[in-house]
Amino acid sequence: MQDFLELAVSAAASGCIYGLVALAYLLMIRPTGIINFAVGEWAMVGAFAAFLLLSRFEWPYPLGIAAVIAFMLLLGSATERVAVRPLLEAGAPLLAPILALLGMLVVFRETISVAFGPDPFPVPYPLGFGRLELGPLAGSYQSFFILAVTLAVFAGAWLFFERTVAGKCFEAVAINRRAAALMGINLSRVTTLSFAGGAGVAGLAGLLVSPNISAHFLMGVPLAIQGFTALVIGGVGRVEGALLGGLLVAFAEQLTVRYAPIPPGFAQGVPLLLLMIFLLARPTGLLRAKEARA
Amino acid sequence: MSSAARWLGAAVVLSGAAFFLGDYHNDVYRKLLLWVTLALSYNFLFGVCGQIAFSHFAFYGIGAYAVVILLFQVGLPLPLAVVLGVALCIVLALAVAIPSTRLEGFYLALATLALAQLFIVVLNEGGALTGGTGGIASYSLPDVFGMRITGPRYTAVIVLLLLGTLGVLWRLDRSWFGRACRAVRDNPEAAAAMGVNVARTKVIVFTLTSALAGVAGMVYAFVDNTVNPPIFGLDNAFLLLFMVIVGGAGRHAGAVVGAVALYLLPFWLHPIVGHHHVLVFGVLVVAAILLQPRGLIGVYDWVRKS
Repeated sequence: MQDFLELAVSAAASGCIYGLVALAYLLMIRPTGIINFAVGEWAMVGAFAAFLLLSRFEWPYPLGIAAVIAFMLLLGSATERVAVRPLLEAGAPLLAPILALLGMLVVFRETISVAFGPDPFPVPYPLGFGRLELGPLAGSYQSFFILAVTLAVFAGAWLFFERTVAGKCFEAVAINRRAAALMGINLSRVTTLSFAGGAGVAGLAGLLVSPNISAHFLMGVPLAIQGFTALVIGGVGRVEGALLGGLLVAFAEQLTVRYAPIPPGFAQGVPLLLLMIFLLARPTGLLRAKEARA
Repeated sequence: MSSAARWLGAAVVLSGAAFFLGDYHNDVYRKLLLWVTLALSYNFLFGVCGQIAFSHFAFYGIGAYAVVILLFQVGLPLPLAVVLGVALCIVLALAVAIPSTRLEGFYLALATLALAQLFIVVLNEGGALTGGTGGIASYSLPDVFGMRITGPRYTAVIVLLLLGTLGVLWRLDRSWFGRACRAVRDNPEAAAAMGVNVARTKVIVFTLTSALAGVAGMVYAFVDNTVNPPIFGLDNAFLLLFMVIVGGAGRHAGAVVGAVALYLLPFWLHPIVGHHHVLVFGVLVVAAILLQPRGLIGVYDWVRKS
């Protein structure tokens, strides 16, 4: 039991990371329908920005985190300006920006690889390295820090969608682009904002996970796959679904590593199997959710 | 000139070239031919039928591993190993295609991406059967009819593979089935209204092109006489997609031009950018989608017209 509770805290922390990546996908899919597979690379860029500011220039942590997120917001809107907007304005099929973003994925990854080389780079723990015990729950400071930040971000996202006019605009665009445009909602601004927000959330995920796994130029694609799995499990309709999906993926993964009698290498396959099973067994769930809103 | 003579001429010229090349250039030439073969079948899946799948390169790997394992771990004769390998590819492709044709657009890409990653996990953890992370090496093609097929002669085998693949796809493309595929790509609802069975068309194309990739993989297995997990990883799956996009999706010539361009580009770029040619690929893909969605072949059309 002790063993399980210890595992639960670290699994919840990685579930939060997946949940954040899923939220980044969701912020862009909801209003635009674009699956941006480059979110993993955004997380990677966020981790490298954290390395530069916190490890190399030794900025104080709150200032560093704010600078990283500001940079990610800019990067997200720049990505949208370069690879998405021209295609949407030209009326290209939805697949075109998705493929262009796959190209951007490679551009991000290879740029970082040119700039930093193939070595992993350490990022410091914000609260130092230590162990916190809250009753029966025990884990590293970082795990609890990740949990707290993620809960704050999801609470913020929920409030944004439910309580603010801008959030309602996002919902309106998700439900019916044309009607929303006719009601005076600026579609291109919503698209820019959704990409900026997606990049900010993804960069935050990279920043939070980087002290545990170090910043590395290949860290993006696994995060993108696990985040997408979380999104598919949770459903694209609701913000809290992303977090739920992330937690489910992380628990499935870590419980198999710990308790299942198979070689640990196979445990890498668990999220992949989950993704395939959910996509193949419940596609109507996904599609019906989309059509009902069309 | 009749069509048969043209195919024969192409076979003679393409394989004849191999006999004038040295060992190193033969190796480059063989891999170029294999990439062109893969790009042709991938183009039919992605460009003609509109299905984005990342599993194509995994099926190439499944074919390669299947033939090597069946020949040297199980000890079957070559013809039986080839037939069983193709059957395995078809069964696996059907198992993926039948449920996944219900997925729209990019969801299929992600389901097949998971499949491709899962394949690598299985290869790495397969123990003695797959040789784990090191793969299987130092085997060689058994004699066929008492003949040892190596060097330029093996290049000729690859030329036959390329032309065979092109022949199958060419015929299909020119038939009612090819038109049905394009209809399914452009407007599934209209295609269904015209009496095309959309789901069945998708399943057939996915299975056929995956089997073609598997056959190409079997031929590849004896090019380097080694198979290992990194060869069949995600990077090459992306490269294949990029080749078709940059060349011009939906046209055989586009697939050929894209494969040749992106395969040879690193050789030219090496003195300038070293090992970072992938960055150039990424920029090229974004540029192609933004500026000329019909790819290099579209640029060629445009130049010729003006």
